[in-house]
Amino acid sequence: MDQRRAEPELITDPGPVTLYGEFTLISNRKVRCAVKLTERDLVVQRLTSAPVGRSKAVVLSLKDCVGCRAYRGDDNKADRASYFAAYFYPLKRRWMYSGVSRQRVEQCFRLSALQDPRANLEEAEKWARAVRERSAQQQALRDGVSLHSLPRPCRMLLLVNPQSGKGQALTLFKNHIQRLLSEAGVSLTLITTERQDHAREHVKEADLSQWDAIVIMSGDGLLYEVVNGLLERSDCEEAIQTPLGILPSGSGNALAASVHYYSGAPPVTNEELLLSCGFLLCQGQVSRMDLVSVHLSSGPRLFSFLSLAWGFVADVDVESEKYRHLGAARFTVGTLVRLASLRVYKGRLAYLPASGEPSDLQLPPLDQPVSGDWVVVPEEDFVLVLAMYQSHLAEDLLAAPGARPDDGVIHLFYVKAGISRAALLRLFLAMEKGTHLDTNCQHLVHAKVRALRLEPRSPEGIITVDGEVVEHGPLQAEVQRGRARIISG
Amino acid sequence: MGTTSSQLNKNDLSEYQELTFLTKQEILLAHKRFTELQSKEQKGVLHLRVPMEKIHSLPELKSNPFRKRICQVFSTSEDKDGSLTFEDFLDLLSAFSDSATIEIKSHYAFRIFDFDDDGTLGYGDLEKLVNCLTIPEDKQKDTEETGLTREEMKQLITNILDESDIDKDGTVNLSEFQHVISRSPDFVSSFKIVL
Repeated sequence: MDQRRAEPELITDPGPVTLYGEFTLISNRKVRCAVKLTERDLVVQRLTSAPVGRSKAVVLSLKDCVGCRAYRGDDNKADRASYFAAYFYPLKRRWMYSGVSRQRVEQCFRLSALQDPRANLEEAEKWARAVRERSAQQQALRDGVSLHSLPRPCRMLLLVNPQSGKGQALTLFKNHIQRLLSEAGVSLTLITTERQDHAREHVKEADLSQWDAIVIMSGDGLLYEVVNGLLERSDCEEAIQTPLGILPSGSGNALAASVHYYSGAPPVTNEELLLSCGFLLCQGQVSRMDLVSVHLSSGPRLFSFLSLAWGFVADVDVESEKYRHLGAARFTVGTLVRLASLRVYKGRLAYLPASGEPSDLQLPPLDQPVSGDWVVVPEEDFVLVLAMYQSHLAEDLLAAPGARPDDGVIHLFYVKAGISRAALLRLFLAMEKGTHLDTNCQHLVHAKVRALRLEPRSPEGIITVDGEVVEHGPLQAEVQRGRARIISG
Repeated sequence: MGTTSSQLNKNDLSEYQELTFLTKQEILLAHKRFTELQSKEQKGVLHLRVPMEKIHSLPELKSNPFRKRICQVFSTSEDKDGSLTFEDFLDLLSAFSDSATIEIKSHYAFRIFDFDDDGTLGYGDLEKLVNCLTIPEDKQKDTEETGLTREEMKQLITNILDESDIDKDGTVNLSEFQHVISRSPDFVSSFKIVL
């Protein structure tokens, strides 16, 4: 059979038609532009009397577009024109720094080709719709990790802790996020939390059908409240599938740093991280997220999405907990102070290695011995034990570079006693770039596990779950693969 | 002063209680330990100085990586040799006691870490600080034993300055130091010497 003749049968839908238009800029009505909308890009070419070579076309990828809207001119002015504005957040070179970050680009056009103002508006709306639809299609093309996209437009519940990040959270919201979400057509219910557990109680009682996603703008602690609040509901199985989003407000945002990291973007901090996370939120790609259920010897089960720590890391983390409102930068000085009085933590550690196909975990209760397929760590003197299920322990600590939110694995790290202060310091410095596993440190052990059991023997000590202090005593943690949902761009 | 008996008299004892954060028990114990360090001829003469090496033999100071600076800071000797009179010794114990305020502790910590005594913690001071913490002492004179590499040291000190240097002048002054150290409650329990 003639191969060439066979091809026409395989033709797929050629896709949306390229739109062409000539509009003027809002800022300067004398400047005409040739605007072309393909499947993938919005291309804007200024048409001026100058030689063509001088004016380069601006190509904006629809993957970077968060929204587009059309509107009439001012009714009073008898302006028959209509307008449409498209909002992009492409990665651009940073001013004065190396690397790239997302920066807002707005393209606004005026359409006045037709006499009838309603016809102009229709044309503007057609363009706005086309931009929105094609952007959504581009953004849904992923490497197969996302479950589904948030509906567009989308309704979000946004919980903000006004005290987080040096008290700047609300200002950051007004300066960066409010506009972004409005450009994306998100309808927002904003709640500022007034105290500890306010968020937890709210999501426990609320009618969740009002929103397509719950987003927090604060440190990780607020999401911890939301996750645990959702799981306290009687409809917890459904409730925990509510897509969750995170916006860092400058104090303890390991999850935001992790989500940014998974998107493949180079590391950024502060407002740039905030804008990046805001952008990913607008993209609205929902993925599964592992949760880890933690059993303590007393009290109800806790649910964790980030980390579990005991020893050196927990101590340093928790000191700063009291000072979270002072901002994120705290690890180095705290680490040095702790290093000065480096101590050993006694305890027993055992884990169930992750292997092959995940099966339903039948775990022995905390007061029963572990079964034969568990590994019992021979050493009983530790400097730290850290269980990670996201990549970042803090904004600037890439503790588990191989972790993914739905890999079904707990990345367990422990450091045996006997490590020198220099070597420990070296590990933390390497952790900023995620290269600590390459340092050949004899005292550092890394294992991928499905469950772990920790029985501290030191009378005093601190255990943190997602950075929050919990009762110091025996615990058992097991992974619940893909139980929650996260919006990760 | 000028006590020559091997016991403190009552007036001095109550005066010391007023002037320091130490309790009566702590002062009496300090007296006992101080006189033990003195040579036979000097015993009981409290305004005479005990040399730094002898102070370092105290078990509570023996493995403290900053013991040299500690003695230098509290010494009132004109020779700047780190030798301590009894009152210097009490000042030291007072600053390191349980009852001393965080302002006092951080004030003295600052002076201890200011190796070049120029009133501010610069790159050199921070570097020495980290080396004191990380290089085992018997290896500190060994020029090959460097604890951290130069790049690691630079990264570390950059982080410290990011966290502490508010006016961005490249050094940490007293109030910046006090501000950042007060965010680390563990500092209080580290900065402690109790006989």
